[in-house]
Amino acid sequence: MAVVAHWRRMRDTELPRGHLAAQRPQSGGGMAPGMVPGTPMVDCESVMRQLWDYLDGELTSDRMTAIRGHIELCKRCYPQYEFEQSFLAAIAARGQQHSDPQQLRARVSDALRAQGLRDA
Amino acid sequence: MPATVMRDGTKQVRDRQFRSEALRWLPEVTRYAMSLERDEANADDLVQETFLKAYEAWGTYTPGTECRGWLFTICRHTFYRRRRREERQVSYDDPDLEALAAAAVHTSARQGGYADLFTRFDLSDAIDRAIANLPDAFRDVVLLIDVNDQSYEAAAAALGVPIGTVRSRLFRARRLLQEALIAHARDSGLVPASATVQGGSADEPTNAP
Repeated sequence: MAVVAHWRRMRDTELPRGHLAAQRPQSGGGMAPGMVPGTPMVDCESVMRQLWDYLDGELTSDRMTAIRGHIELCKRCYPQYEFEQSFLAAIAARGQQHSDPQQLRARVSDALRAQGLRDA
Repeated sequence: MPATVMRDGTKQVRDRQFRSEALRWLPEVTRYAMSLERDEANADDLVQETFLKAYEAWGTYTPGTECRGWLFTICRHTFYRRRRREERQVSYDDPDLEALAAAAVHTSARQGGYADLFTRFDLSDAIDRAIANLPDAFRDVVLLIDVNDQSYEAAAAALGVPIGTVRSRLFRARRLLQEALIAHARDSGLVPASATVQGGSADEPTNAP
């Protein structure tokens, strides 16, 4: 199912709900303190520039970690992250399943056979 | 060895290759066709035509390369030809600027009380309409990446454009979709969260800028 596939690709970008209240995120507009030592620091604008790439899992693992660390702690970036993530899930859910894939496979195989494709 | 035997042997190898490399992507091509043609009967025709064309053109395919993307390309071209639609060229902006513009859309949604628009309402029909109304070049990337779970690289290969073009079209398409869906919410009288809920949720910061 498209949703499942999409969420599988997005799993590293998911953040646990409710973590903001527990971790007391910082005000937006700058670096998010409290990040894992050694993690490259990123600011809000960098996160905004790369949020789609992050949600699509298209960044390097270091960059994914850095942005995830920022979003977890930033009260300005987290709501946008949540908004965009819910948007992508709604779009992914529009992927339709075929009602009878076996029937379609048989139909395509018959057409190919008529075109000259030999059975295995 | 007689020429006919050699030809038969070559065809056998070719057919075996087609079965193992192309036909294995039938479920993915079906899902892609279903996202192009919302009607299942039309999608079936599109899938069949895609594989017949792929079989006919199998000699042009380089074994071991991205067969799924190659099939998606055939499927997309076939779809447009069936619809007699030209793939329009569109201008696009800098993807970074588009990414920043997404923040403005989110701010607008939040100010209108629609920060939870996509989780609170069933927007299925509105989403289908909004996707259908996108210019073809934008619709292509949304269907490949957001609906059919392709990477930027795979979408670029299927569309025959650079990855940078895929990113900028995708980000612009997402912004257009969000704007259309927020407008739909307003026009349809979907009640903003701010009209029904006092204050924010436990997870939502109350003093975000």
